[in-house]
Amino acid sequence: MATHHFAAMMIFALLVAVALAALGERTPVNRARHTAWTFLIFVAFAVGFAWLLLPLSR
Amino acid sequence: MSDEAPSEVSVHPAVEPGVAPVAETASPVQPAPAEASSQSPATLFALAAWIVPGLGHLLLGRWAKAGTFFACVVGLLICGCAMRGEVLVPGTDGPFGTLGFLADLGCGTLYFLARALEAAGSDLSRAAGDYGTRLIAAAGIVNVLAMLDAFQMASHRNR
Repeated sequence: MATHHFAAMMIFALLVAVALAALGERTPVNRARHTAWTFLIFVAFAVGFAWLLLPLSR
Repeated sequence: MSDEAPSEVSVHPAVEPGVAPVAETASPVQPAPAEASSQSPATLFALAAWIVPGLGHLLLGRWAKAGTFFACVVGLLICGCAMRGEVLVPGTDGPFGTLGFLADLGCGTLYFLARALEAAGSDLSRAAGDYGTRLIAAAGIVNVLAMLDAFQMASHRNR
């Protein structure tokens, strides 16, 4: 399975966000909110960190 | 709801002559099946959660959580194996390899299944293989968290 780096990170972020929300929240609404926030934070941190590392790759 | 009160009392239809009819009430002492399972030790539910991801929550009657954990753990493991990540064995790459092995072992029986099905072996020459190794470790960690959650829920039910 040839997976792009970003796609691999998205799969990881989504599945781990769903699991963490199931652990931490009780109601479906709170779980959905927790999942969305955790997923966004994962992706935002990864993209931001990648931008910070960009000068090192040149 | 006072109309429904007499329905809880039943009288034996066949009563011997001279013997007062025996009234039978719904016994509140007998535990329901769900209550009986709650008396099982909490470690049993944690062990079930380790053997099959989500099974501990399933036995506790938490279908949604069981399905969620099963889907997440199996999804991470399948993606990791599909990316040809490495399913670590004990004694590889020093202490970090041991930690990775312990994380992988958290998948329970799926760890052994992944090792058995790892026919082509890992491919760490590409970045995807390295990502796959991390996804497999993440699957084990998520299952360990699910085990602890099942243990905690079972402990609270037994109180």
